[in-house]
Amino acid sequence: MTLPDKRTTITNIALFVVMLAAITASLAIGTLQLTPTEVALALAGQADPMTDLVVNQLRLDRTLAGLLTGAALAMAGCLMQTLARNRLATPGIIGIDNAATAFAVASVVGIGVSLAPSTMALTGAAVATALAFGLAGAKGTRGYRFIVAGIGIGAIAGSATQVLLSRVAIDTANAAYPWTVGSLNARSDQSVLVLAVGLGIGYLALMGISRALNTLQFSDPVAIALGTRLRSTRVLGLGLSVLLTGLAVSVCGPVGLIALLAPELARTLCRPGKVPLTASALAGATFMVTADLLGRTLFSPLEVPVGIITAIIGSPYLLWILLRPSQRSPT
Amino acid sequence: MSRSHHPLKAILTKTLAALVLPLAALSPAQAAEHTVDTAFGPVTIEGQPERVVTLYEGALDATLAVDANAVGAVITRGGTDVADYIKSEAGDIRIVGTPGETNIEAVVAARPDLILTSSRTSKEQFELLSRVAPVVVSDVPLFQPDSWIRETRLYASALGREGAGESVIDRVRNRIAEVADLVNETIPADQRDATLVRWMPQGPLVMAEGLFSASILQAVGFDVTDNGLVKEGRPHSEPLSLENLSSMDQTWVFLATLNEDGQKALDSARKSPAFARLEAVEAGRVASVSGQLWTSASGPLAVLAILDDIEVAVRDMNP
Amino acid sequence: MATSARKRVVVSRAFLPPLASAVFLLLLVAIGSLLYGAGPVSPAEALAVLAGGGTDEARFVLMELRLPRTIIGMVTGLALGLAGALLQSMTRNPLAEPGLLGVSAGSGFAVALAILLGATTATLTTLVAQLGALAGCALVIAATRVQGLGNDPVRLVLAGATLSGLLMALTSMLMLVDQRAADEIRFWITGSIAGKPLDMLGATLPSIILALVMIVMVARPLAAMALGEKAAVGLGHHPGRIRLLITLSVALLVGSATALAGPLIFVGLVVPFIARALAGPDIRRTLWLCAPIGPIILLAADIVSRLIAAPAEMPLGVVTALVGAPILLAIVRAGRMPSL
Repeated sequence: MTLPDKRTTITNIALFVVMLAAITASLAIGTLQLTPTEVALALAGQADPMTDLVVNQLRLDRTLAGLLTGAALAMAGCLMQTLARNRLATPGIIGIDNAATAFAVASVVGIGVSLAPSTMALTGAAVATALAFGLAGAKGTRGYRFIVAGIGIGAIAGSATQVLLSRVAIDTANAAYPWTVGSLNARSDQSVLVLAVGLGIGYLALMGISRALNTLQFSDPVAIALGTRLRSTRVLGLGLSVLLTGLAVSVCGPVGLIALLAPELARTLCRPGKVPLTASALAGATFMVTADLLGRTLFSPLEVPVGIITAIIGSPYLLWILLRPSQRSPT
Repeated sequence: MSRSHHPLKAILTKTLAALVLPLAALSPAQAAEHTVDTAFGPVTIEGQPERVVTLYEGALDATLAVDANAVGAVITRGGTDVADYIKSEAGDIRIVGTPGETNIEAVVAARPDLILTSSRTSKEQFELLSRVAPVVVSDVPLFQPDSWIRETRLYASALGREGAGESVIDRVRNRIAEVADLVNETIPADQRDATLVRWMPQGPLVMAEGLFSASILQAVGFDVTDNGLVKEGRPHSEPLSLENLSSMDQTWVFLATLNEDGQKALDSARKSPAFARLEAVEAGRVASVSGQLWTSASGPLAVLAILDDIEVAVRDMNP
Repeated sequence: MATSARKRVVVSRAFLPPLASAVFLLLLVAIGSLLYGAGPVSPAEALAVLAGGGTDEARFVLMELRLPRTIIGMVTGLALGLAGALLQSMTRNPLAEPGLLGVSAGSGFAVALAILLGATTATLTTLVAQLGALAGCALVIAATRVQGLGNDPVRLVLAGATLSGLLMALTSMLMLVDQRAADEIRFWITGSIAGKPLDMLGATLPSIILALVMIVMVARPLAAMALGEKAAVGLGHHPGRIRLLITLSVALLVGSATALAGPLIFVGLVVPFIARALAGPDIRRTLWLCAPIGPIILLAADIVSRLIAAPAEMPLGVVTALVGAPILLAIVRAGRMPSL
C-alpha cells in the first residue's frame, strides 16, 4: 500500500467533485422535467409518490448502476493496460467483453443453461481470458500474443452472440439487442448488487497490490529488484480485471470504450509512474453516468444505448491517440 | 411539468368529463370500483379510467376501439410512431418507449390512471409500473385465433366499458362474416390456399400459421399454411433460404413489408428471380400489405383494417 | 540481389504444384457450391442438371440462385484475398487484414449511410463502398506512417480494432435513426452473398479489373520493397508511388467485395496466410496463389452457411469469423510472429 502523492490526491478530489456534478445532473434531468427543488425534496423523502418514484427509484438506481459499471470497467481497463504494457489493451478490445456478453446472452435467451447472467458473464470473461492466456503460452500477458489471441476470441464470441440471437424468436432478439451493444436500461437489480460487492472487494485488493502494480511499469528485472513477486501480482491483477469486467458486463453489456478513455484521462492528470486506479474509477463512473444521461435524453422518450454514446464520444479522442506521433513508450 | 395540449384532445377530454361528471354526481360512492383478473392476480380499478397508457399495440387498439382515452403508447415494431393504421384514431399521443423498452419516466409524465400491457411483461416491470397506476397485464395466451377477442374483453373490462367491448367484437364478427361471404362467392374452394410472407432485403420471412393476421385470413375462408417451415416454439416467423421459396407457392401470397411504399417493395421482391417465378406472382395474386398492420398489430381495429385489405385484394385480383 | 531473387521465382518449379492443385481445388469447391444448398434440390438432382437434364425446379435453383451466388462468391473471395496480401506486404504486418484494420468497417459504414439516405442502385452502392474503403485505407496508412506504430504489428491491429468498433457504433446509431432502414442495414452488415443480383457484379467488375491491372504494375516493385525501401529506390522504384497504387487497389478491391457481400472479416487474413505457407515469402507468388485460394475459402464458408441452418441460412460473415479466428490464433501460436 502506498500513500497517494499530492498531485494524485488533488486529481482524485477534483474528479470526485466532477463525479458529484454528473450524479446531480443525472438525478435532475430526464424525460420528466423536475425542478431542482422537487429533486431535493424527493431525495429528502418529502416529495409526492410520483416524484419519489422517478427520483429515488428510477434515476437513483440507474445512476448507481452507471457509477458502479463505469468504475469497474475503468479499473479493469487500467489494470489490463498495466499488465499488458499497452494503452490500447483494454478488456473490450481483447475480447473479454464480447465473451462475457455471449455467455450472458446464452443465459438470457435460455439456451439450455439457467445460471444467473452475472455468473454466466463472469464465466465468459474467465473463459476468454484463460483461453487467451493459454494460447499466448509462456509469455503471459506481456507479449503481443495475448492481445492478438484476445482479438480472435472476441471475434468468435461476437459471432456466437449473433448465432444465439438468430436462433430465438424475433421479439426476444429485439429485446436483447440494446444490451448487446451496451445499455443500462435492461439491468437486473440482482446483478447490480453482485457488482457492488465485487467492486468493493476488487478495489480493496487492488489497493493492497498497488505498489507492486506500479513496479510492473518497469522492466522485469527492475520490478524483481524492487521486491515485486511478478507472477502472483500478474495472476491476481488479471483475475481482478476479469472479475470487474464480467460483473460490469452482466449489468450494462459491453461498453468497451470506458475502459480505454477513463484510464487515459487519469494517466494524463496523475503523476507519471503510478497506476492511477482510483482516478480511473472516478473518471469511469463520471463518463458512464454522463454518457447514459445523454443516451436517455437525446432522443427522449426513446433511448440510445449507452454503448453507442460512449463509442461516439470517445472516437475523436481515440483517433487523436492513435494518429499522433508517440513521444513516449506506451504504458 | 409543461405539457402541450392538443386542442382536439382537450375537447375530447372535456366532452368525456361532461359525460362522466353527472354520473359521478348521481352516485356519490364514486362509481363502482371493479376488479379485473390479470396475469399477476386481481387488480382493482376505480370507475372508467380516463388517462390510459398502453404498452402493447393490442392494448392501444382495444382502448381506442372502446372509445377510451389513450394518452400514451409505445411505437410499433420497426417504426418511429404508433402504427399507421391507428394513427388518426390515436391522435397526438405521447410515445413512452418501444415494445421492448418502456421509458417509465415518460409513463409517469403521462399521468395515467390505468396502464395496459401485454402478457410478456415481467414481474419487476409490473411492480415498478404499479407504483404509477393500476397495471393490467394480459393473461391471454398469444397466437391463438381468439386471442384478440379475449384481450379486448380483458382490456374493456379494465376500462369499465364491457358493453362497448362486446359491441365492437360483434361489429368485427359481422364484418368477418361479410368478407367471408365475399371470399365464398368469388373464389372457388380449391383456390383458397394462401401464405403470408414478409419480404426482407435478404429474402423471405415466412409468418407462422398461428399469427394474428393469418388467423383472420383463416376466419374469412382462406387456407393459410406455413408448410411446417416455422418450427414448433417459434410462434412468429422463420427466415427462409431463397431456395426454399417455391415450397410456399400457394395460390395466394400476402406480402407484408415494412416499407412505406408497398408497390416499391413488391417491385424489389419481383427483381428476385425466385420470387418472380412463384405461380401466385405470375398469376398476379400477390397482395402487398403493411407489415406494421399484418405482422405486428393486433386488436379489433387491426382486424377491421386487415379485413379491408383482404376485401380489396379479393376484389382487385380475382378475375 | 533483386535480379537473382526474381530469377529464382521464375525458374522455380516447386511453385507450380501448389498453384495447380489450388486451381483444381477451386474447381471442386465451385462444383460443390452448385450441388449443395439449403433447399430441397439434392446434389444428385443438381448433377442431373449439369449433365443437361433435371427438373425445371432444379434447373432454376442451379442457374438462377446457386450459379450467380457462386460467381459473386468467387469474385468477392478473389478481391479480399488479394487485398489482404497487398495490405500485409505493404505494412509488413501479417495481421494487416482489411476486416481487422477497419477498412471493411469504413466501407460498411459508408454503405449503411447510403442505404439510410435512400441509395438503391448498384453503381452508387459500389462507389460509396469504395470511397469508405479508401477512407479506411487512408487511416491505416496514416497510422503506419506514425513513427513507432508501423513497426508494431499488434498496435496497428489494436488501432484497427478500435476503429472498427467506432465505425460499428456509428452504424448502430444510423440504425436507430431510421428503423425501417435498420432491417436492411442489419442484414447487410452481417455479410451474405445470397440473392444478390448479378447487376451488382457488373457494377464492381470494372474497378476489380482496374485493381488487377494496378497489381500487375506494382507486383515487381513491391517485391523489391520487401528488401527495404533503400534497395527499392536503388532499383529505380518510387516507394511513394507504389504505396499510392496499392492503397488505391486495396480500396477498390475491398470496396467492391463489401458492396457485393457486406463487410466480411478474416477472409483477407486467412487467404494470404495459407498462400504464404505454400509459396514462401515472395509477394508475387503469394498473389498468384491468393487468386484461387480466396474464392476457395469464401465458397467453402458459403456452403457451410447454407447447410448449417437449413432451411434458413446462417449469415456468411458469422461463418467467416468462426473459421478465421482460429487461423488468427494459429498465427499467434506459430512461435515468432513472422515478419514480412
